[in-house]
Order: sequence, then structure tokens, then C-alpha cells
Amino acid sequence: MEYPGTVRELTDGLREGSYLADRGLATTLLVALSLHRPVLLEGEVGVGKTEVAKVLASSYGRKLIRLQCYEGIDTNQALYEWDYARQMLQIRALSERQLADDQAVDKLFGPKFLLQRPLLEAVQAGDQAVLLIDEVDRADDEFEAFLLEVLSDFQISIPEIGTIKARSRPVVILTSNRTRELHDALRRRCLYHWIGYPTAEREVEIVLVREPGAAEQLTRKVVRAVHRLRELDLTKPPGVAETIDWVRTLGFLGESELTPQAADDTLGAVIKDRDDLDLVRDNLAEITSGA
Amino acid sequence: MPERAPFAGVLVGFARELRAAGLIVGTGDALTYCSAMTPLDPSDLVDLYWAGRATLVSRHEDIAAYDTVFRRYFLDEGAPGATQLLLPARAVAEAEAALVMPGVEPGPPKDEEKPVLGWMASDVDALKHRSFAACTPAELAALRRIMTRIRLTPPRRRTRRTRPASAGRAPDMRKTVRESMRMHGEPAELFFRQRKTRLRPLILILDVSGSMADYSRHLLQFAYSARRAAARVEVFCFGTRLTRITKALEHRQPDAALEQAAQAVVDWDGGTRIGQSLDTFIRRWGRGGLCRGGVVVICSDGLDRGDPELLAAAMERLSRLCYRIVWLNPHKGDNADFRPSTLGMMVVAPHIDLLLSGHDLASLEQLAQMLPALN
Repeated sequence: MEYPGTVRELTDGLREGSYLADRGLATTLLVALSLHRPVLLEGEVGVGKTEVAKVLASSYGRKLIRLQCYEGIDTNQALYEWDYARQMLQIRALSERQLADDQAVDKLFGPKFLLQRPLLEAVQAGDQAVLLIDEVDRADDEFEAFLLEVLSDFQISIPEIGTIKARSRPVVILTSNRTRELHDALRRRCLYHWIGYPTAEREVEIVLVREPGAAEQLTRKVVRAVHRLRELDLTKPPGVAETIDWVRTLGFLGESELTPQAADDTLGAVIKDRDDLDLVRDNLAEITSGA
Repeated sequence: MPERAPFAGVLVGFARELRAAGLIVGTGDALTYCSAMTPLDPSDLVDLYWAGRATLVSRHEDIAAYDTVFRRYFLDEGAPGATQLLLPARAVAEAEAALVMPGVEPGPPKDEEKPVLGWMASDVDALKHRSFAACTPAELAALRRIMTRIRLTPPRRRTRRTRPASAGRAPDMRKTVRESMRMHGEPAELFFRQRKTRLRPLILILDVSGSMADYSRHLLQFAYSARRAAARVEVFCFGTRLTRITKALEHRQPDAALEQAAQAVVDWDGGTRIGQSLDTFIRRWGRGGLCRGGVVVICSDGLDRGDPELLAAAMERLSRLCYRIVWLNPHKGDNADFRPSTLGMMVVAPHIDLLLSGHDLASLEQLAQMLPALN
């Protein structure tokens, strides 16, 4: 399925995949699709940065290739690795005469023994893939420099095989939680978009799209309560993901009203910090009051 | 398309305005902006806005400035709207700082007034730029010469990355297989990899309030040389509010860097609100992971005008977030059995791993010496 050519079509396409993108995000994505540029998404925790890549892939029939970054990630985990165990076995299986043959050694470093990691996979899949580079700020800066190289040319050199170049570019989405400042060079290669918290009206819509079984009345109350929580001085304010979780939890327990008691019982779905819990419990009646 | 040419001029002009407003916008970015408009509708302001924001802005801090320039350039609106775009967190801190201001009117700038190095924290939220002119050039030069000699080396920690080593736990499969090819497939020798080590991040949080004025100039100098000496250093200043001056200290010329840093800090010689400032630090930077696994060096006399409970809570949280906390208190001096007498110091004492004085160069050198061994 082709990617759309207008902002409206793209928004509709994402909505079919249960993702409500606002005008800014949809415009950024559309520009990224037409200019073949990576998108760098930053924003509060739990506002759907990762989700947008997943939905983009599923809505347009692309393969989602995810590279989860973590400290110490290196080329072996991001690009490719040789299957050493199989190579060893292969060598043992060959007789000495066979091994003397040049081709036997070449085969040992052929595609059969090459383990593809996400970046190589994305280069080979080309525009049939959506490459999600998740939480790039968690990787160390050496990796970032290397990523820069891959993202600018979409080609990968493997000494034993040669250079593999992407025939067409995959859609690339990077997410960052800003635990560390990313290099300007990486930022400059990307389109940038900041995803903030949605308005209350919008958030109700999002919850209802993600959780079709939810009662609208309850959802409205929960969203109002969550917005009040965000105004409180919390260490970890709840994101949209938490709102959805809370609605889901209440629905599972068969609650139809957000009473202080029901909220207290299910607070673990939205508040994930002990100090915050104490603060919220003190103000529970005010938070849940429907006004 | 030729009919597009004048329109491109408008977009490039916008990029130039942004540059004038302090955003980093390259010619390439302006080009991208122009081509980004191709699939969009150039007569639609919303498209213009979002395409520009995606292509010309690359960090969250710049969005407010972008909004202002966009308004001025495309909507012909003045600056007034800009005041509403201040970051909420900052607005809150400012509002609170303003609340506690007593009935004293700001009055004329009191640059001449000697800041009283006393046991009374100043209540005046002094919004003035403290000049380095007060320091004689010879004095500055001498200080700088000595300070550049101080090398700050934070302790190291093991990373998840590995390097080839003569011995270790993890076998180096790649090398082992390669070498065995020479032996006709016989894995005769095992090669190993070992985990690398790297320096922990270092975070300096400096008090520049009235009661610390005599030291803050040295501290800034120190921060500058520290920033140039170690790999990952973040520098913050606080009086009544917290300012990040890491970027300002990046300048190659020491004088220019210090000048920029002095400009960035607005509350020189004002009151102190340690609890509030540390709380802001944790919320805006610490929680995001800036100081995780790092060594935090706080330099302050602990004369806090804020709520001690807030300070205690912030310190406790900070001690859980970072690896070690070093506190420099100039009032400690060379006194070995110094007992903290201010409420602030007593509150923070349980969370401090190392208490030094930092009142002169010798003690700063002592810090540099003890830092690598903080494991």
C-alpha cells in the first residue's frame, strides 16, 4: 500500500490503526515520507512516541523493524553478526581437502552464516520497512556517531562481503526521552517533533479509540482526574498510556463511577512513585470530584 | 518551478529571522523547509507553521522562540504573546520567588554595596548581572593559570561495552574463529573480551547567592576549567532559581565563556533557595537521567531561605538518583572538626558522602585529588 500524499489522508490512515495524530505530527510525518528524512520524536513519557511507528507500519502494510537502544549497544547487536557456532561446526564438518579450496572459506563468510540485526535488515528491506530506533538517548554517544553514518547513506560495509546499499530508503523514526542531550549532527539529519500532552477533549477521544469498550462517561471523569494529577506537583506525571491503563483497570473491575474508593484501589495504574502516591492520596477526594 | 521563486524567498527570509532570534538554522535546513512545502499547501498557515517547526527547530527549548518569530513574520504580531510561552516550570519558580519578596522596592542597582558575608541570607531577588570587572586582570590571569592545572577526574565505572583483552570472562568469538581458520579450522587458542571502563559524569551545582558572593567568582572559574578538563561535565548555578550554564561555558575563550555564563545567571548576589533549586534540578534534569551514576558536587554554605523540608526531600531524592554527593562548604575552612551550624547544612548532612571546604585553591586541589577515589 502506497503512503498517502496529503496530511488528511495520513491522519485518516493512522486513525484506522487506532492512532489519533494531531496536525503537527501528521504534517511532520508526511514531510518525512516525501523527503525521505528520519523523524526524531521527543516528548513526555507515555504520549505515544513508539506507538506511532507501530501504527504507521501496520496501517500501510510495512514491516516494523525495531532497534531498542540500551547502554553498550554495539554493531554486533545493531548491524550484523556472524553465526560463529555454525561456522565452527561447518569447519569441523569439512575435510582438510575441502577446506583447502578457496570457495569453502568464502562460503563460510556468506549470507548463510550472517545474522541480520535490525539496521542491516532495514537496509535490505528498503521502503518496505519502518525502522523504529527506540530510546536513542539510552545508547552511548559512540553509537550515535555510528548511527549517523548509517542514516545518512543507508549503506553498510561488511568487510567479508562488501557494501550493501539500500535500494530505497525505509521510513525511520527515532524516539528519545531526553535523558541525555543528543548530538547536534544527529538532530540536523532529522525532522523534529515534540509530542506534548493532548487536551482533555482529545484525550477522551484517544482513550475511546484505543479502548472501544470503555464507557464514555467514566472515560471523561478519568481524563479530568488525570489532568488534575498533571497539575499537581508530581515527580512522574501520568501520560496518555497511564490514562488508558486506568480506564482499562476500572473497566475490568466493573466500576462505572470514579469514586474516591475506586480511585484509591486502582491508583497503581496511574501513579508509579511512592512520594507521588502519598501526595495524591491526600487529595483524592478533590481529584475524583466530577467538577 | 519559477513561480515558486518569490515564495522561496519568503521562506528563506523566515529562516533568517529565526537565525537572528538565536536558533541554529543552516542553509540546508532552509532548503529542506522549502522542499517540505512541496506536498503541502503553502497558502495554509498551519502547514507553514508545522513544516517549519519540523524542519527548522531541532530542540524543545527553541519552540517558544520559533512561535514568537512565526507570529511576527507571518502574522505581523508583536512580541506580547511571547510572555505566555515561557516554560511553566520556570514561571512557577519565578512566581514563588516574587511572592517572598518583602516590601522593599528594587531601587537603584546596588552594585557598589558590599555583599555582607553574613549569617543572614539576603531576601532580595537581585535581577542583575554580576560583572567580573571587579576582579583585577592580573588576579584573573593568575587564577586561571592555576585553575587550568587542576584536572578533575571523576571515578570510573564499568560499561556494557567490551574490548579485546588478554584475559577475561567472555570469549571473543569473532577473533577465535578468524584465528582458527589459519589452523585449518582447529580452534587452538581462545581469545577474550573484557568490559571497558569510562568516567562517570560530573555535575557541578554552584551557589552564586549573596552569602557566597566572595566565592562564586572562583567557583565559576573552577567550573570553566573543570568543564574543559573532564569528559562529561554539567554545570548549574543557583541563587533563588536554577540556571544551566553548561552551554555558556563551552566557549573556547575563557573570558568570553565566563562572560556568557555570567549573563545567563540572573540572580547573582541574591537570596538562596537551595531546596527549591535542587528540586528544580531533579525535576527538569535529574529525573531524566542527567546525574544517574554520576558524581554531584554542590557548592553552598547551606544558608537556605526556603522550606527545610523541601531541601531534605530534594537531597534524599538526589542521593538516590546519583552515585555520590560531594558538598563544598567554604565556611568549613581548614577546620577539620567543623560542625555544620546552619539549618540547611544540618538537614543535608545525612546525604553527603564527602564534605570539603572549597574556600581556596588548595582545597579545590584537594577535591580534584579525592575525586577519582570516590568509589
